[in-house]
Amino acid sequence: MSSLTIDHVRKTWHAPGGLQVLAIEEVSVEVSSGEFVAILGPSGCGKSTLLELCAGLEPVSGGEIRIDGEKVAGPNPKAVMVFQEHSLFPWLNVEQNVAFGLKTKGVRADERSRRGREVLERVKLVKFARHYPHQLSGGMKQRVAIARALVGSPEFMLMDEPFASLDFQTRVLMQQFLLEIWLGFKSTILFVTHQIDEAVLLADRVVVMSASPGRVLEEIRIDLRRPRSMTDPAFNEYRVRLTSHMEREVMRAAEVE
Amino acid sequence: MARALAAALLPWVVLVGLWEIAAARGWMTTSLFPPPSSFIKFAIDSDFRVGFGKEGMTIPAAILASAFRVVAGLFLGFIAAVATGILVSMSRIASASLLPIVRGLAPIAPIAWIPVGIIVFGIGNPTAIFVVFTGVFFLLTLSTVAAVQSVDARLIKTARTFGASRPQVWAWVIFPAVLPQVFTMLRINFFAAWMAVLAAEMVGLKNGVGMIVILGREMFNPNLIMLGICIIGITGYAVDALLLFIQRKILWWKPAE
Repeated sequence: MSSLTIDHVRKTWHAPGGLQVLAIEEVSVEVSSGEFVAILGPSGCGKSTLLELCAGLEPVSGGEIRIDGEKVAGPNPKAVMVFQEHSLFPWLNVEQNVAFGLKTKGVRADERSRRGREVLERVKLVKFARHYPHQLSGGMKQRVAIARALVGSPEFMLMDEPFASLDFQTRVLMQQFLLEIWLGFKSTILFVTHQIDEAVLLADRVVVMSASPGRVLEEIRIDLRRPRSMTDPAFNEYRVRLTSHMEREVMRAAEVE
Repeated sequence: MARALAAALLPWVVLVGLWEIAAARGWMTTSLFPPPSSFIKFAIDSDFRVGFGKEGMTIPAAILASAFRVVAGLFLGFIAAVATGILVSMSRIASASLLPIVRGLAPIAPIAWIPVGIIVFGIGNPTAIFVVFTGVFFLLTLSTVAAVQSVDARLIKTARTFGASRPQVWAWVIFPAVLPQVFTMLRINFFAAWMAVLAAEMVGLKNGVGMIVILGREMFNPNLIMLGICIIGITGYAVDALLLFIQRKILWWKPAE
């Protein structure tokens, strides 16, 4: 049973000129294995920063993050991050991109190729193994990015608004794709988004964050059966509840600025 | 494709045609400004050999000598500059202390290094290669440092989340990411390097296409001068085409795609 614990985490940035900016005030979230948790918040609420802290890309300024009880002190193969578009290595083809996480672990080339193909097979991208990122559509690039995260069988996928730059149609397909992946690979997902619909559609639980500095305002369990429909009245209730939060926070963030 | 080729060739045909007509009609002094039919015939008649005794050489050998000098200098300059630029970028102290020197040396035109090369290496290939190398090395080092700073942070974070160590990030992400940008800079500076090789050949080196023009002047042979000028243009064009090919087919990726 794996778990990710964000325990009273604080993060301050040192801005040029010696200023200190408080990005995350105090956040505690608990994610247990198999869960799909969305972190919802307006732009600049520190939700992306929070993911980078979980991924061990940045040190926390206070509190701690634990994965399976162990304190996160650096990048960890148990928790990989999936970024927005443009995170594929443009000089590597699809298969090499997918196998990147194996290369850093010193897995041999033929083994990398085999496991890369295996994942590509499961995400139905095997036909494109020799394509380069610039030859793919935005949605396909994100599927490759997700496949790349899956190849090392991580326990946690930390996703930073992975579909934000996609058009509506592609985004709907990708959300579907991600749910299939989540069920198929039995992974645990911590998903950052600023879109209410996306959070309600995908997550078991939505953590609402406040605008700068980031704090947890509320945690809402989404008790809707899958597949969920955005036109369902119950879906709308969640949407209304979250929208009021978001509106208030957006206005507050505007005042702070 | 055929149309594009025709569009590219037609102006040349017109230009040469006008030149020939102008010469045939006596609009210009052919003894000083011979048309292509004259100097090409001269080249064939002289069996593609120019000069006498120790100064004698064949035209193909001259072309190869000049092309070799500039390509070798560019190649070595590129490799050394990328290596130096990356190593300097790895350490803050190194970049703070070494970059001012590089910035001071970068504006020195390749041609200005010719006397230095002759004093240090004497007359010969090493001088020409040194001139090209020095002429591009400092510029490309600066260009590498700038390219390192502009590497997409997401690519670096992605590599780290997949467990890449610091040296792996440099070797597998930053190094390939900077190559196209530095190579573009190399191509921009090719013409200056090419001129430097020709100048070195004119002032000292005893062979190469620059020497053909000087022989023409010494022997007061306008055919030889015009022939030399045309060969310089065509050879330069060919090397630039080679660089363009490398840029498009080998180092084709753009940052963040």
